[in-house]
Amino acid sequence: MKVNYTSAAELVLRAAQLYGDDTAFKDKDGKISFIGLKESAYALASGLMKRAETGRTKPVMVYLPKSIKSIVSFMGSMLAGSPYVPMDYNVPMARFEATSKNLCPCAVITDGAGKERLEAAGIEIKALVYDELLQAEADYKSINNVIKNSTDLDPAYIMYTSGSTGTPKGVTISHRAVLDYTKWLTDTFDTDKESIIGMQSAFHFDNSVFDMFLTLYLGCTTVIIPEVLFMYPEMLFDFMREEKISVIFWVPTVMISAANSGVLREKKVDTLKLILFAGEVMPIKQLNEWIGAYPECKFVNMYGPTESTDIVLYYVVDREYRAGETLPIGIPCANMKAIILNENNMLCRPGEQGELCIGGSGIAMGYWNSPEITEKAFIQNPLNNKYHDRIYRTGDLVYEAEDGNIIFIGRADSQIKLRGNRIELGDIEAAAAAMNDIKSCCAMFNAEKEEIVLFLETDAKIVQRKFSMELKKYIPAYMVPQKIISMSDFPHTPSGKIDRQTLKKEYLN
Amino acid sequence: MTTTEIISEFIKNQFEIGDDPDFDNDVHLFNEGFVDSFGAVEIIHFIEQEFNIKITQKDITLFPMNTVNEIAAVVDSKIG
Repeated sequence: MKVNYTSAAELVLRAAQLYGDDTAFKDKDGKISFIGLKESAYALASGLMKRAETGRTKPVMVYLPKSIKSIVSFMGSMLAGSPYVPMDYNVPMARFEATSKNLCPCAVITDGAGKERLEAAGIEIKALVYDELLQAEADYKSINNVIKNSTDLDPAYIMYTSGSTGTPKGVTISHRAVLDYTKWLTDTFDTDKESIIGMQSAFHFDNSVFDMFLTLYLGCTTVIIPEVLFMYPEMLFDFMREEKISVIFWVPTVMISAANSGVLREKKVDTLKLILFAGEVMPIKQLNEWIGAYPECKFVNMYGPTESTDIVLYYVVDREYRAGETLPIGIPCANMKAIILNENNMLCRPGEQGELCIGGSGIAMGYWNSPEITEKAFIQNPLNNKYHDRIYRTGDLVYEAEDGNIIFIGRADSQIKLRGNRIELGDIEAAAAAMNDIKSCCAMFNAEKEEIVLFLETDAKIVQRKFSMELKKYIPAYMVPQKIISMSDFPHTPSGKIDRQTLKKEYLN
Repeated sequence: MTTTEIISEFIKNQFEIGDDPDFDNDVHLFNEGFVDSFGAVEIIHFIEQEFNIKITQKDITLFPMNTVNEIAAVVDSKIG
């Protein structure tokens, strides 16, 4: 890769020159070539610059169903000089509003239905319709100027993640971070122009950076797998066979349900070569099912919080694991470093448990428009007082094994992972506490049953489905508790706090 | 019984919906919390057996099957 690129959007231009009419992306409605992508993204960027005040501090929200249109919008936003902000098309309007309030975007790119929804919810934002923006004539001069005046430390994208007080946090990632990550991917894995990537990740999760930018760099094809197919493993694998998928980067939840459905051997995808996963712990039992069905494939366990550009650590599975063993999260990518700090901010010895802290060009620039929480999470490396050396405290507890691989143990706080989604239990509590008739509430995670349990202190009669529907107006569906238990009085500890231990003992086991 | 009635009865029994007043043939089964994603596979399995049809990945991708009426429409198109 040319090292003097300053914008990840330049990869669009490069791909159009190198790969021309080859197919870049496919979705259920059609496909787009590298030239097509460039032309659409340039037109969209030009329309955007005409109708909104774009710039490095003026992000563009993209509120569209998962499709090629989303990708064109991301690239177009970057070409117009604005970071792109992918929004879940199913996001509750209250959450959209909270996000937009923090973000102060210059515009949102959406479709007719999305615009209507925003208007009905009374959200004040400049809503621009994708199809209309695309009508603009490409203004090459203005776009070239934007690229010329940008630096690689301008923000490329902002992704919102669950915050413990109920306000989502906007993780801000630079162009340099995206470019370095892409370079590392292409240097490390056996992928090429002939690769066909089967995309699972939603765009508002950073695993999507993998599929999109690897495709642009290699000139290969990404097939956006229709989301509905993940509910039906058999049909999902029929689809993969038809599309001749060779690379997947999925969350373990999806891999687990495929393994449990028995479909792996029955509907083998002969073209599959590289299988990567990240987002949560991959259980050995299901991993072994996969390895049994695909012994010729390379399996890679990856690790990275949203506060890094997708991935920080990776582990290529190089031996057989037995039930009860833990799969390492591995070693850092080329542009990243990992240090493990104990409670006194000293470096842990191998084997000693501590908090994983990460640094390198891939870490986020901070949380958008939120200096206070940024300062807490992104700190000066306590082992270095010679120059500005920022690290991110992940809150993940880990240790370094004898062979140098890092092993994940658990969380230091109440953040959980459920089916690949990162959730702050406090986020759910904030939504529940705001409901009528709720005196108090407390959310817990039952790791054994893989379910969130919400305890409500209330005198009202709670109907779970209806209460869940109410919650869904404020929090995404994946955060809605699987179980709701209500009572008129919570047990309390002597100090007056909710007695979580008693609740846990009485209801969770 | 019509296709719609057969599917509606199955879903009401299988997912213990009873006489919930919010349930009807146009309600979004998944968004409104009547059926979860595991239930989706059960519904497909049921209609394949009951009507002796095969639901393919193309059907699932191209036609929405989120309400009783939408599922019935796909079934009816298959049994012609």
